[in-house]
Amino acid sequence: MGKVRPKKHAPHTDMTAMTDVAFLLLTFFIMTATFKSNDAEITTPTSISQIKVPDDKIMIISIDREGKVFFGVDAQPVRAAMLENIGQAKGVTFTDTEKAKFAIQSSFGFPLNQLKAWLNMPKDQMSQVKQPGIPVDSTGASELADWVYAARKADSGLRIALKGDNVAKFPAFKDVLANLQSQNINKFNLITGSEQAPAGYSNN
Amino acid sequence: MAAIEESGGGHGKGDGKVRGKKMSTRVDMTPMVDLGFLLITFFMLATTMSKPTSMSLAVPDKTEEKEETEPLKASKVLTLFMGENDNVYYLDGVAADDDKAESSLKTTRYGYDLRNVIFSSQKRINAANPKDEKGNDAFVVVIKPTPVSTYKNMVDVLDEMAITKSKRYALVDNLTDSEKKILGDRIKPKN
Repeated sequence: MGKVRPKKHAPHTDMTAMTDVAFLLLTFFIMTATFKSNDAEITTPTSISQIKVPDDKIMIISIDREGKVFFGVDAQPVRAAMLENIGQAKGVTFTDTEKAKFAIQSSFGFPLNQLKAWLNMPKDQMSQVKQPGIPVDSTGASELADWVYAARKADSGLRIALKGDNVAKFPAFKDVLANLQSQNINKFNLITGSEQAPAGYSNN
Repeated sequence: MAAIEESGGGHGKGDGKVRGKKMSTRVDMTPMVDLGFLLITFFMLATTMSKPTSMSLAVPDKTEEKEETEPLKASKVLTLFMGENDNVYYLDGVAADDDKAESSLKTTRYGYDLRNVIFSSQKRINAANPKDEKGNDAFVVVIKPTPVSTYKNMVDVLDEMAITKSKRYALVDNLTDSEKKILGDRIKPKN
């Protein structure tokens, strides 16, 4: 008589529960995802402020480490309308393809006279180009002011946020400030990272 | 590999009926888990979790008619000059055109040191001066950024204002001649 051997089974784990967890997490991350924008690397300073940056209806003026200024508006239709507005004001006409291409750029930093050339580049080249930044000067009447005006004309409810790099020099900020103040914009947000308030600090 | 277990197919019972083999419905989930975690990893890396916060900054209107106000008394003012390499120079209760200014200009660093400077000055000035008719403390901070200071410096100082609860502060970006004289080379951009 042969021995009765227990049937050999490959060890089999039930992965169903693990799949459940994995996909639950996945769903969560997909829903909360706001993608890192790959334009202009900016490391913001931190502050103890706890006001969140609004999600929509916002225009962001960024100052990078060299003091170059970039401009971005969150909503695509507003971007297109903004381009049209500035085109009208400055006597430049943009084709529909240029408008469409512009509408998908989250932010840009080109003087108006170079913008057309940039928009006509192939897609992969567009991201490679080193952007020179929007001309800003201390008189308060430079292209940045025009863009802010055009954006506000496109959507009057836009809030303004300023995002500066840690090492950007103060004069760059001062020039941006002059541009905003020339349009009577005296209140805006500075985007910062969050930081723990020192011990003993209370909010009231 | 989806494991197909062959169990009890009803063969060999000899009852003659051909029954369909009963297949187990167990599916190996491993590749699905792999895929799931791969995507999780991707989304975790591509997401910025900590939403940036913002501090609001209100600057005085430039176009509006300025109403005549009494000039600030130097004894109530702490003046901070934001210098290079994260240095802060400060004048505590002394005007820059005062004779003593030169000797009383001190240097501090951002963070804890600056906070202490503000706190002690705040305490001293508020104790020596009564509140004004609107119930505000007498203590005023004048923040003077210089061309060599950075954006971070400015945010740090504004942050200190929030931390020390100094309600009255002013960001003034032009230096007077006497201030320039005192600070001298410390605020010259080096190119």
